[in-house]
Amino acid sequence: MKQRYGEGLVFAAVLLVGLAIAGFGTGYQAQTLFQMVMMVLLAVGWNVISGFTGYVSFGQVAFFGFGAFAAAVAILNLDVPWYVAMGIAGAAAALVALPLGLIMLRLSGIFFALGMFGLARIFQLTASSIDITGGPMGTTVPGAESPNLTAIVAIGITAVAVAITYAVSRSRLGLTLMATRDDPVAAQAAGVDIWKAKVIAFCISAAFAAVAGALYVWNVGYLDPSSAFAGTIELQSVLMVLAGGIGTVWGPVIGGVLVSLLSTFLWASFPMEQQIVLGVLTMAIAVFAPTGLMGALRQRGWIRRAPIWGPPLAASASPVTTTAVPRDAGGAPVLTCRKLSVRFGGVKAVTEVDLDVRAGEMLAIIGPNGAGKSSLFNLMSNFHRPTGGQVLLDGQPILGIAPFRLARCGIARTFQTSRLFRSMSVWETVLVAAASVAPDRHEAVRATTEILDRIGLLDRWDDPPDLLPPGRQRLLEIGRALALKPRVLLLDEAMAGMTLQEIERVHDALRAAIARGTAVVAIEHVLPAIAPLAARVQVLDFGRTIAEGIPREVLRDPIVVEAYMGAEYDA
Amino acid sequence: MLTTVATLVILGLIWGGVYLLMAEGLNLIYGVMKVVNLAHGDFIVFGGLLALTLFETFGVSPAVSFPIAGLLIFAFGALVQFGVIERIGLGRPDAELRTLLATFGLSYVVANTSFLLWGSQFQSIPFLQGSIQLGTIAIPEALLMCSAIAFAIAIVVHIWLTHTMLGKSVRAVAQSGLGAASCGLDIVWLRILAFALGSAMAGSAGALLIALIPFQTASGSELTVQAFTLIALGGLGNYGGAFLAAELLGLVEVFTQYLYGSNAASALIYLVFIGVLVCRPQGLLGRVGRV
Repeated sequence: MKQRYGEGLVFAAVLLVGLAIAGFGTGYQAQTLFQMVMMVLLAVGWNVISGFTGYVSFGQVAFFGFGAFAAAVAILNLDVPWYVAMGIAGAAAALVALPLGLIMLRLSGIFFALGMFGLARIFQLTASSIDITGGPMGTTVPGAESPNLTAIVAIGITAVAVAITYAVSRSRLGLTLMATRDDPVAAQAAGVDIWKAKVIAFCISAAFAAVAGALYVWNVGYLDPSSAFAGTIELQSVLMVLAGGIGTVWGPVIGGVLVSLLSTFLWASFPMEQQIVLGVLTMAIAVFAPTGLMGALRQRGWIRRAPIWGPPLAASASPVTTTAVPRDAGGAPVLTCRKLSVRFGGVKAVTEVDLDVRAGEMLAIIGPNGAGKSSLFNLMSNFHRPTGGQVLLDGQPILGIAPFRLARCGIARTFQTSRLFRSMSVWETVLVAAASVAPDRHEAVRATTEILDRIGLLDRWDDPPDLLPPGRQRLLEIGRALALKPRVLLLDEAMAGMTLQEIERVHDALRAAIARGTAVVAIEHVLPAIAPLAARVQVLDFGRTIAEGIPREVLRDPIVVEAYMGAEYDA
Repeated sequence: MLTTVATLVILGLIWGGVYLLMAEGLNLIYGVMKVVNLAHGDFIVFGGLLALTLFETFGVSPAVSFPIAGLLIFAFGALVQFGVIERIGLGRPDAELRTLLATFGLSYVVANTSFLLWGSQFQSIPFLQGSIQLGTIAIPEALLMCSAIAFAIAIVVHIWLTHTMLGKSVRAVAQSGLGAASCGLDIVWLRILAFALGSAMAGSAGALLIALIPFQTASGSELTVQAFTLIALGGLGNYGGAFLAAELLGLVEVFTQYLYGSNAASALIYLVFIGVLVCRPQGLLGRVGRV
C-alpha cells in the first residue's frame, strides 16, 4: 500500500514541476517540455499494444499521423476549436482502429510488426493525396498562441493517459491482456476473450497516438505528410519504452523523459548523428537489457509490481463453500461425444469415438502414445474442429462456440505440457480464470483464495509460477481450471511428474470437485494415478475406443494388454 | 496495345530476377535463424551506394563492382550476427521480439550512416544506356544484364545450399539447430556464415539495383518490406515459392507503375503484403517451406 502511494506522489511531484516550467518558463523551455511530453504520450500509447498486449508494432506512427490529419481537417473544414479537434482525432482513431485491429491482430510477431509498418506507409501515401491538407506539400493550420499553453495542455492530457494505463494495468482488462500476451491458448482455456482484450488495447493505443498527433499539429501550426509520418517518431517512441521498461506503467514515462532529453541534446549538438546514436541505443537495450530500467530495478528487488486485486483474503474470511450439488451419477450425461472423428491430412487422429460422462463421476481415458487422447481433448474443448461427429454439452452441440466461451460455460481443461503465464504470479494465474466467471471483483478474489487454499499454494500466492517445482506447477494449472467452476473438467496427464504427496493433493481437490457434481475426464498414462477415483475407464488405441468398463476389469482385457505390450506379451 | 502489354510482361519477368536476389538473402537468414533482418533493405541501399562510389572514383561498372559490395556487406553481416543476434540467445521466449527490436535499431543505424556518407538525394549509376530490340519491343540492356547476374547469383547460392557439404550444413541448422549441433556441426559459425551470406546477397542486389532505378538512403525500409512481401508470398524459407513470387511481384509492380504511377505501385505493394499475411500466411505454394 505504501508503495502505491509512493508512485502516485512521485508522479504528482513531477507533474507539478512540469506544470511550473510550462506555466512560468521561457518559450524555449516550454517548447522543449512540450516535445518531451508529446513523445511520452506516444510512448505510453505504444506500450499499451506492444508492451501490455505483446504485439510489437512498427507502425504506431500511422495513428500519430492520422490524428494530426484528422485534427487538421477538423480545424480547417469544420472550423472547430483545437480541443474539439483533439477529441475528434482521438475518437476517430479509436473508431478506425476497431476494424483495422480485427484484421491486423490476426497477425503476430514479425508479421504484425511489419504489417503495421506497411499500414503506416499506406496512411502516409493516402494523406499525401488529400487536397484540403495540401497534398504532399502540406498546409498551415491555425496553431496555438503560446508555447506555454501547449505545454500545459500536453501535460494535462498525458497525465490522464498515464492514469488510464495505470487503471487498465490494475483491472480485469490488464489481467486478461497479460494472460493473452504470455500464452493466448492458455488464456482462452482460462475463459479470456483474447480478441476483445487485444482489440480494446489496440484502440486505446491508437487513440493516444492520435491525440499526440493532434497536439503536434496544434503546436507547430503546420502539417505535411512526411513529417507527420516520420520514421524518427517511431524510433523514438520504441526506444523510450524499451529504455524505461516495456509492459510497465511507469517505464514509458521514465524512458520518455530520459530519451527525449538525450535526443534533444543530440539534436542540438550532433543533428546528423542523432538517429545513429538512438539506433545503437535501441540495439544495445534489446540485446543487453530488454526489460529496461524498470526490469533492472525489479531484478534487484528494489521495486515490484503489486499483485492485481491481491492479497488473498484472510483464511477466516473465506469459508470453504460446502453447498454441495447432490451427486447425481445416474442422471443424463453432461458431456457426450457421438462418433467423434478428426483427421490431420492423412492421419486419422480420432475415429468415431463415443463418450459419456455424468455429473459427479470421473472417467479415465488411457492409451499408449499417439492413441489420440490429447486430440480428443482438443475436440471436446473446441480448440480443434472435428471432421466428423459431434460433442454435446447438456445435449446441445458445442460446435462453433469459441473456446473461451466454452470455458466459461463449464468445460475447463489443462494441457499436456504445462502452459502457465510467465509474467503473472500464482495468485493472478488463478485469478484470471476466476475473474472470467465471477460476477464481481469480490467474488473473484474469494474464489481464488479458496482454490489456492484447496490446492495448498496459498502460502506461495505471490510467487511467479516458474519458481514452483514442476508438480506444483501442474497443480496450479488444475487450480486455474477449477477456478472456472467447471461442470466438466478435462485433465490432460495432470499428474505426470508429481510426487506422491502432490498426487494426494490433486486427489483431494478432485474428490471435492466430484462431490460437488463436477464431471471429470482424465487422461493418464499411468492408470494407478487415477484408478482410486475413476468410476469408469475408456481405452483408446489408434484413435479408436478399444475397451471400456470399470478399471479392474479393463486392465485385464487382453486387447488392452496387447495395445500396451504388443501381441506376444503373455500376461 | 498488344506490344505494350508484351513489353510490360517481359519487363516484369526480368524485374523478377532483381527482386529474387533482393529477397533471397532475407529468405536465407529467416530460414536458418527464424530472424527477419529489418535492416535488410538498408543493406541493399548501402551496397548500392558503395557501388556508386566505386563507379565515381574508379569508373568501375556495377557489373564488376557487385562482388566487392557483396564482400564488404558480407563482413558487416558477420559482425552483426556475431555481435548482436548471437548475444540475444535464439530460442528463448522473448528472442523473436528482441531480434526484431535490435534489427529495427540497426536499420536506423545503417540508413543514417549511409545518409552521413552519401546524403539524402536520389542517386543512380548510368550503366548500359542502350536497349535491345525484339521486334517492336525494346528491352533496356542494363535491366537484362543486371537481371541475368541476379538470377545467376541466386542459382549459384541455391546449388551451393543443395549440393555442397557446407551448404547442406547450413540447411541442417535451418531445420533443427539442436539436431545439427548434436551431429557435431558448429552452429554458431554456420549461423554467422548464413547471416553474412544473406547480407552479401543484399549488398550485391543493391549494386545491381542502383544501375536500374535511382534510390536514396531513406529507401531502405521500403525495400525491406518489398523483400519480405516476396518471401511471405512465396512461403517463408521456400525457394521455389520465392521465385514464383518474385516474378509475380515484378509483373504487378511494372503494370501498376505503368497504369497508375509510382505512388500507387508502392501503396499496392503494402496492400499485397498485408493481404498475403492475413489471408495466406503460409504463402502461395501453401506449404511451410524450408531452406
